[in-house]
Amino acid sequence: MATKKRASIKFGPNTVRIRMYRVGFGDCFLLSFPISNPPPGADTHRHVLVDCGVHVKGDLKLIDRAVGHIEATTAQKLAVVIATHSHQDHISGFSQKFSDFDIAEVWLPWCEDLRDKNAVKLQKKSALLVEQLRQHFEADAHESSVTKKRASAMAAIANLVQNKTALVLLRSGFGVNAQVRYLSAGDNLKDPAGIPGLSANFLGPPRDTKFLSQMDPPAGQRYLALNGKRTERLNAVEPFPQRWRLASNRREIAKLRFSESDRKVFQKALAGQSLEALAFALDQAKNNTSLVTLFNFRGQQLLFPGDAQWGSWRYWLEKDDAEAILSGVTFFKVAHHGSHNATPRSALERMAKGKFAAMVSTQSVPWKSIPREPLMDRLGEMTKNRVLRSDSLKVEGLMDAPKGPALSRLPKGFVQGDFWYDYLIPV
Amino acid sequence: MSLKINEEAPPERPLKAYAFDPSQGRNLGNYMTVSVRNEQLSPGPVGEYLAVIDYDVANDTYYHPVDLDDPKLLLQGGLDPSESDPRFHQQMIYAVASETIRRFELALGRRVRWGFRGGSRKDPSRGKLRILPHAMQEANAYYDRNLRALVFGYFPASETDPGTNLPGQTVFTCLSHDIIAHETTHALIDGQREYFLETTGPDTPAFHEGFADIIALFQHFSYKDALLEMIQRTGGLIYRQRVGPTVQPEGGRPVIQDELSKSNPLVELAQQFGEAMGMRKALREALGTPPNSKALESLFEPHERGAILVAAVFDAYFTIYLRRTRDLMRIAQSAGAVSTPGNLHPDLANRLSIEAAKAATHFANICIRALDYCPPVDITFGDFLRAMITADYDLVPVDRFGYREALIEAFRLRGIYPQGVISYAEEALRWCPPEVIKGIRPPRCEGLAFNIPRPTTAQHQKRNAVILNRFARDNAVALGLNKGQKVRTLSFHAVHRTAPDGRLKVEMIAELMQQMDVNLDPDDDSSETFTFRGGTTIVLNDQGEVRYAIQKNLGKNDKSNHRLARQREYIHSTIAKMAFTSYGDEEIKDLLPRRGRKRPMNFSLVHRGY
Repeated sequence: MATKKRASIKFGPNTVRIRMYRVGFGDCFLLSFPISNPPPGADTHRHVLVDCGVHVKGDLKLIDRAVGHIEATTAQKLAVVIATHSHQDHISGFSQKFSDFDIAEVWLPWCEDLRDKNAVKLQKKSALLVEQLRQHFEADAHESSVTKKRASAMAAIANLVQNKTALVLLRSGFGVNAQVRYLSAGDNLKDPAGIPGLSANFLGPPRDTKFLSQMDPPAGQRYLALNGKRTERLNAVEPFPQRWRLASNRREIAKLRFSESDRKVFQKALAGQSLEALAFALDQAKNNTSLVTLFNFRGQQLLFPGDAQWGSWRYWLEKDDAEAILSGVTFFKVAHHGSHNATPRSALERMAKGKFAAMVSTQSVPWKSIPREPLMDRLGEMTKNRVLRSDSLKVEGLMDAPKGPALSRLPKGFVQGDFWYDYLIPV
Repeated sequence: MSLKINEEAPPERPLKAYAFDPSQGRNLGNYMTVSVRNEQLSPGPVGEYLAVIDYDVANDTYYHPVDLDDPKLLLQGGLDPSESDPRFHQQMIYAVASETIRRFELALGRRVRWGFRGGSRKDPSRGKLRILPHAMQEANAYYDRNLRALVFGYFPASETDPGTNLPGQTVFTCLSHDIIAHETTHALIDGQREYFLETTGPDTPAFHEGFADIIALFQHFSYKDALLEMIQRTGGLIYRQRVGPTVQPEGGRPVIQDELSKSNPLVELAQQFGEAMGMRKALREALGTPPNSKALESLFEPHERGAILVAAVFDAYFTIYLRRTRDLMRIAQSAGAVSTPGNLHPDLANRLSIEAAKAATHFANICIRALDYCPPVDITFGDFLRAMITADYDLVPVDRFGYREALIEAFRLRGIYPQGVISYAEEALRWCPPEVIKGIRPPRCEGLAFNIPRPTTAQHQKRNAVILNRFARDNAVALGLNKGQKVRTLSFHAVHRTAPDGRLKVEMIAELMQQMDVNLDPDDDSSETFTFRGGTTIVLNDQGEVRYAIQKNLGKNDKSNHRLARQREYIHSTIAKMAFTSYGDEEIKDLLPRRGRKRPMNFSLVHRGY
């Protein structure tokens, strides 16, 4: 009986390699594009690093090892470093070590451009609110137990805390004279950074004013900490002078005052709710600043949407060319670690079933509902099982790491490394 | 023997309020007096429908309640407008909310009721809509059915871009006449159609927002001073968004305030709020952008989509206003009068203002009455157009100025296509009697009691409920209901209206509803379930004949049910848009419509998108 032997693709001078490092809850992708007819002894591939970071609450302590491995693999030469957006879990790995590299270009979304008025406005507002929320949540956590929702919100805030070091490095091109580009929807680059045959189309983030207003956190908000019996004020506004204020036991309001239970209902509905929702809204706003890149290389279309969520996708999903773009995708880096609203149904359903592969860098810590199982199932169907999750990978010596679904065997085109998966595409 | 003088309480109580909001200062008759129905009030104020309870959740404090029966206040028509005295805020919020309720009662021809029950027997605000004028520190105001309240926020104006406010000044949403009217309208719609808070498609939340804006905007045309001034400054073209300066600046460069052109507050909503948020303009406008029949295909956010509805209704209104005043303008012109901005003869301006106010009242009434002619669930803009046409036709069969024609054209230009009609002709758009839709003519509903003019007693009400329910079940197919399935009678009431020719029309309107639990994913039995609803609004004449059966068929849980498919699709996309749904599974269940527990729309989130 002859067993079917699958012809395995080997990495070589005519292969595109997409490497997903397992870092925990974060993204670290290394793309390698072959050069046609390289002179003997020269590099056969040019490398593009898309994000390098991990969430503080989902850190497997592998990010430094990944950077080291990237150093070795690329011989310290990166054509492009892309930071899709400034969430910690996408940039925490960008350290001084990269200043030893030879980097030609750094690509950032226009929302990180400090010369852009709108970008600066948004950043300032967001930073202020993030800090206030962080302080408030922390103070609250000392007083009373943290609900599940609050824990989720705190994890979101932790991810939003500004990583000044990484951002300074990125914006200055790591001090190695890399050209820093700020990109927005509609831009495209041909043969960028000395990679002939590569073109990059950017589908997001848009510069549309309506989009901006969606991203705008509520202006001039000041928040209040209500801790059970004690009320602690964080910059609360007192709208009226003391003479109009009445404590609840005063007889003037005897007939009006709320019962204790009613009062609690109002407090819960009006004070508490907005804080978690605000944290998630800020998180989503940041995700929507993601640079969405469609790489086109020798007929292969690789879609890297960063963490873009619905608010960003809709800007190009509703255009006439969306159909053509989606049905031509041959590789999809699943957005936002496989979360629910980062891969709109209308996008996934329009991709060509069986004609593309996907990778998800994810794990279910710190958020149990990310990645979303029904989405993962549907991805499996649409890719005919050519999809891999980073948490399926067993890493030697890694204790207590969150476990993804076990694999009976690797899908076609994928190769397993020590702590990475490769997807190889012959071109 | 002492002579007992029968003193009847005066019918109205004058109360001062801002016509727009504090930012207009004393211009345009901004300091106005609202005449509310005189009722017994206790401090708060607390009346029959409303209880203003000034509790500030953020600061955990109450503010001094106002006693509107205090002789000092009665003498002057209430407190003078003041941003710093919370008692004026309570007065204004009570006045404007009452005014809005009254408008509804006049249009509907009956007393309003709220969409909520509840509150313990000891609760003094039981059965009333509670209003918290300074509830939270947020640039937001909303209606919450679970709280049985309207809550209003206050916030500091933007430091960097405060518009006409001081940077960091405290802006109170409860001092915006528009915002109060808007929020009260949400509560009033909820009282008439409890399931309109359930989002079943993109039109449902947009309808709520658009309708509330419509009522708030039409209010503007009853402010005589503002109307007169705007008529002068626009030369009678009151829909213009910007008006010229009072005095033409030299060389086009204004040096004093009277030389500045300004925006027209008649066609704007919540100007102070919008400016304070750094928007440099009002929150919303009546006519917004020019009609675009493709807009509905791409605008889904409730306010944006609702703005299309507002623009359609106002397009019709301004068209009618121009039609009604055409003869006046011709008379003026034939007398050699010039009717350019700033130069209208005061008598002409006065007559124009009367026409504008009259037409505004007509249109607001058409919109409010149309609520009765809407299906019980899943409202769409197309349904509302048909409801308006039918409601108006019933009352005013001969449409001298072409109100209905103007409405139809305005909706058509904006791509609002009602389902299941063959053309845009008025006859096609009116709701049909059941025999036209189903081919079956239901029998008369016998035995209903609706006395004129006294309201029916509780016993009559109970009997009516039983009769209607049985009638619905016995004639399910003819009325567009599923045979053999339980029917819930959500509401029924007699309506008394007087037509312009003096006829008294009496009808009974009943909302019948059916529901079934279905899976979110039709191919996956383990996916979350939600409650899908359908039903019929029946309109019966005083003989018990069914004149209209305004239906949304429940149908079967299969592929042929287009409405069900559309709702599933809509729920999926809603879930996809909400940030927090990524982070918690429980949240998704909270968004789904559920049996019994009517899961209303979360207005706080909708409104935070302004």
